[in-house]
Amino acid sequence: MTERRLFSDSCHAMGTRVEIHLYATDANRAALYFEMAFDEIRRVERTLSLYQNQSELVRINRIAAREAVTTDPEVFRFLQTGFEYSRRSGGAFDMTVGPLLRLWGFSNRTMRVPSDDELRQALATVGWEKVALDPASRTVQFREPGVELDPGAIGKGYAVDCVASLLREEGVNAALIDAGSSSVYGLGAPPDKSGWLVRVPLPGNPSQWLSTVSLRNNSLSTSGSYEKFFRWRGHNYCHILDPRIGSPVNGVLQTTVISEHAADSEALSTIAFVSGFQTSTALLQEMKGISALWALGEPRTVDQIQSWNWPATVAIEDLRYKSSVRVESLET
Amino acid sequence: MNRREFIGQAATVVAAVSTLTACHSGTSVIAPSDRMRLGIIGVGSRGQDLMRVFLRIPGVKFVGLCDIYEPRFAQGRKITGEDTPIYRDYRQLLDARDMDAVIVSTPLYLHAEHVAAALDGGRHVYGEKSMALTLQGCNEIVSAVKQSGKHYQVGLQYQYAPEYREALRILRSGKLGRVLQIHSYWHRNNSWRRAVPDPKDAQLEQLINWRLYRKYSGGLVAELGSHHIAFANEVFGTFPQSVIGSGGIDYWRDGREVPDNVQVTYRYPNGQTLFFSAITTNRLEGCQLRIFATGGSIVLTQDSGTLYYEPSTAQSAVPQESIVDHGIITAASYKAEEPYKGKGKKLDVPSDTAGNPEYLACNSFITCLRQNLRPEANENVAWKAGISVALGNQAIDAGNKIVFPADSNQT
Repeated sequence: MTERRLFSDSCHAMGTRVEIHLYATDANRAALYFEMAFDEIRRVERTLSLYQNQSELVRINRIAAREAVTTDPEVFRFLQTGFEYSRRSGGAFDMTVGPLLRLWGFSNRTMRVPSDDELRQALATVGWEKVALDPASRTVQFREPGVELDPGAIGKGYAVDCVASLLREEGVNAALIDAGSSSVYGLGAPPDKSGWLVRVPLPGNPSQWLSTVSLRNNSLSTSGSYEKFFRWRGHNYCHILDPRIGSPVNGVLQTTVISEHAADSEALSTIAFVSGFQTSTALLQEMKGISALWALGEPRTVDQIQSWNWPATVAIEDLRYKSSVRVESLET
Repeated sequence: MNRREFIGQAATVVAAVSTLTACHSGTSVIAPSDRMRLGIIGVGSRGQDLMRVFLRIPGVKFVGLCDIYEPRFAQGRKITGEDTPIYRDYRQLLDARDMDAVIVSTPLYLHAEHVAAALDGGRHVYGEKSMALTLQGCNEIVSAVKQSGKHYQVGLQYQYAPEYREALRILRSGKLGRVLQIHSYWHRNNSWRRAVPDPKDAQLEQLINWRLYRKYSGGLVAELGSHHIAFANEVFGTFPQSVIGSGGIDYWRDGREVPDNVQVTYRYPNGQTLFFSAITTNRLEGCQLRIFATGGSIVLTQDSGTLYYEPSTAQSAVPQESIVDHGIITAASYKAEEPYKGKGKKLDVPSDTAGNPEYLACNSFITCLRQNLRPEANENVAWKAGISVALGNQAIDAGNKIVFPADSNQT
């Protein structure tokens, strides 16, 4: 078998840097794989992005309150996946959360605490149950005006899955696909290794890590609040909202989930963040091959670590942090 | 057809606008008689994009996929989500029953053969642009449309783009004065070459990189210029009178046969000019049309439009007695003729017409089939753009002015 070498390339898409590292027999073949991969990322972005005014999701958002909108099988399946997560998480994951994100100013960096009235108004247009999906006709309809679909908490993972699937079909047997480091897929493993190494950092401190895992035909996603938050009158507000009450989740710094597919790990890391350990693990118990890790606390202060079915040691390498950090691990 | 017939088409354009607005008022319940069964010849990257768009229209189903490159079948079926019947010979696809229309998205040199065969076989056709590689091919399709009585729509989606239609409306209103110049660009900074699994496989190379070879491709003028040329034809109300051109293989010397940069200048009958440039070595200009009228300008990109009014000029021959009494002020300065850097006014489109041009074009095609209406981007529009492309390429090769036929060649 011809020896394969490691090639790397990246592109800017979905508001982040997408890096791909893969093993190929020669530069020409690697170039072919990168072209296919980045074309596919851009195709998914063109289809789902709310920042491209001709995307399919923008079209659905424009029309679906007026009438049922037919969409193509791929987009319909994508929406079905998202809404199934809404159903199973009791709304902790919700693709209709857009109006709330805009209200809090997270979408355009004008962060502010909204009034109760504003919150009530926005909440009236939010809620996964306000969207009707009909598989027989492949249609999407909003039951109220003002509802909109936002692919934010699952779209990157979906794009990563599409690329992984394409590369696998082309015969690539080792690749790491990294979308902004928050959504990662490890296809196969580098030669003579058990998998692709990913370090989960101590929140807010990339040089200290909680755990190192090895991905092999599975994915890892991280949701974190320590970079996108604002402080107002002594309280921290992060950008991950509980869609049911309309305000940011408190006390969670970072969640990381490992699962077979990147769309799943991305959705589940949001669910883990919003629902917390007890509620999330009830759902994770029903699923196969999921691992999850929580870091709780406030920005700059890690109070507690929790893990579920985590495949590696969890320990803080450098104990300069608060001495009250506990590492708690609950196995099934 | 001749110029007078084309100008008369403007009325059809206005009438056909209803096919665009109709797409927003339909329901999702489709009667069996309204179901549209489509076949597609050419399931490459363009064909796959079209399939996704067509599947967003209620009642559309793919009943046949045809290609000569084996990997396309799995790719096509991934999009339909079904075991759609596959064909390796387009004649067999056309023999299949229960097919209302066919999409032709094969390489340009095959358009005439595939489109004509589909029309002769009793199917309506959505044919990718440019209409055909040669003048003769364009004429063959026009004849086939006439003889078959079937509908043909060409994939020139700017016809349906809301910002472009709004620009056309403003220009036709006379608000910006006389439109005499359109300068258009499609500038990129990449080789236009696609990676091939085995570059030593000459057949595969020509299959995947057909756009780089003269036997198969009209090069940058056809692939990129078609859209701008078709729009200019709409603005000027007719097709060009003559064309000059230049271009060459000046940077990407990788075995390709078509120029890696082209510049063509078309003269129209009423003193109007279209300049089109496509290059592969710099992307500052991107894709844009700059329309220069005596009273203002419009700049159109792929998804937006901006309006600029010309600054009004001072009146001359106005009595200025005060200059005699009070004199003028001298200064050692001059005002340079700087490019205008102002923001301009965003072109707003009525909200019920906003949308993705590709979706609007495909949806309009299906609506035309359901309601037996003539497509807007029909064979007349396609012919005028198609021959403009073909003669533009001739001009680049010949290095001298090429004069357009006054009338079409009837077969």
